[in-house]
Amino acid sequence: MKRQSSLISESVLIERLHQHDQQAFQWLYDQYSPALYGVVLRIVRDDDQAQDLLQDIFVKIWKNLESYDATKGRLFTWMLNVSRNTAIDALRSRKTQPSNEIRTDEDSVHIVDRQHNTEQPNPDHIGLQDVVKQLRPDRKELIDLVYFGGYTHEEAAEELNLPLGTVKTRIRAALHELKQLFKS
Amino acid sequence: MNVAEYITSGILESYALGTVSDQERREVECLSSIYPDIRTEIDELSEALEKYALLQSVEPPAFIKNKILEQLEFPVSEPSIVRPMYPSEPLSGPTFRTTWLVAASVGLLLLAFSFFLFSRLRNNQESLASLRTTNETLQAESRQLTDWQKKQDQVTALLRQPGTRTLVLQGNDKAPKGEVLVFWNATSKQVVINASSLPQLGPDQQYQLWSLVDGKPIDAGVFDVAQSGRAVQQLNRSIARADAFAITVEKRGGSPAPTMSTLLAMQPVNS
Repeated sequence: MKRQSSLISESVLIERLHQHDQQAFQWLYDQYSPALYGVVLRIVRDDDQAQDLLQDIFVKIWKNLESYDATKGRLFTWMLNVSRNTAIDALRSRKTQPSNEIRTDEDSVHIVDRQHNTEQPNPDHIGLQDVVKQLRPDRKELIDLVYFGGYTHEEAAEELNLPLGTVKTRIRAALHELKQLFKS
Repeated sequence: MNVAEYITSGILESYALGTVSDQERREVECLSSIYPDIRTEIDELSEALEKYALLQSVEPPAFIKNKILEQLEFPVSEPSIVRPMYPSEPLSGPTFRTTWLVAASVGLLLLAFSFFLFSRLRNNQESLASLRTTNETLQAESRQLTDWQKKQDQVTALLRQPGTRTLVLQGNDKAPKGEVLVFWNATSKQVVINASSLPQLGPDQQYQLWSLVDGKPIDAGVFDVAQSGRAVQQLNRSIARADAFAITVEKRGGSPAPTMSTLLAMQPVNS
């Protein structure tokens, strides 16, 4: 896997990034921008806004590199969380402003979600796509809702009309399934 | 604390998905720094989500990169130091080549330098050899001069001794211009001559000095015509008595009896 090989030098990369090295940044951008852009696009579902947000996100990452602690977690995970939080915040603030509101129906998120899932898979990750297809649909739906929709467990339970306990159990099971699928 | 129970409680999944409260997040991070098993579980969950996120990858428009770069400030960068970070690049290629180039250059330089040193060494050896020869020549001359000086000192000492007589032996018709000075001290029995004006002899001939005692000739030593600067030479015979001195030409090494036909000069002591 392409990204896997780069993990070898992740500590070196982080060191360079802490020195605010321009080439290290370019490498970081080239390596991660498609994934982050894809996630942001998945959350906000608007090209223009996703592009603006991607800029904000990379500036944020650059300015907050000092707060990234390699002992607490993986770099890509940290970047993903920054991206998800930024995009979800933007989505929520858009929803609270009726004048900018495009989709008033919250269910539309999931309608688009399902449409989105039918799009052509990224050719770089065809193997992974096959793996994800093995994920049970009800579990996948929950992960997407929480991870890309920024739903809390309570919100997800309400959204899907399920008991909170079921949602929690299902999310845990979904993540473990995902873990096992990628491991094999 | 029961780590296994904590791992299966579901909190780590919530943490990985980012749905925990700030307090829960701090708790998880604290515990994961203490228990490696918790950290491993979080990493595995995160990695699964990373891979899931990678599936969403969409290439952003190219202009965004430049727009971001415009907004960022970079300190003076050092590109050459960063390069080795790229894992996909064939790092060993150029480095290997450069190493060889440097090694070869150093080798050539060393070779040239060795050659320079070698030629210097040879020059020095040559100069040393010629200096040694000169030195030996000078030493030999110095030794000769010292010897000569000793002899001269002895001669001078003899001449200054009381009782030394000086005789002038005039050459006869065989050596009309010949004149030999004989210095003789009867007490010390030493004889010294100054024979600079006699004609040169063949290589197999020498002059011989005789002392005449009661009409009998006694060998007083052989000598060559003195070279320039060697006018005075001491003869290695002890002469205690002499009525007269005579000089003949004899074969090299001298004769037991004088050849009368070659008599050159004769002078009585008490004339």
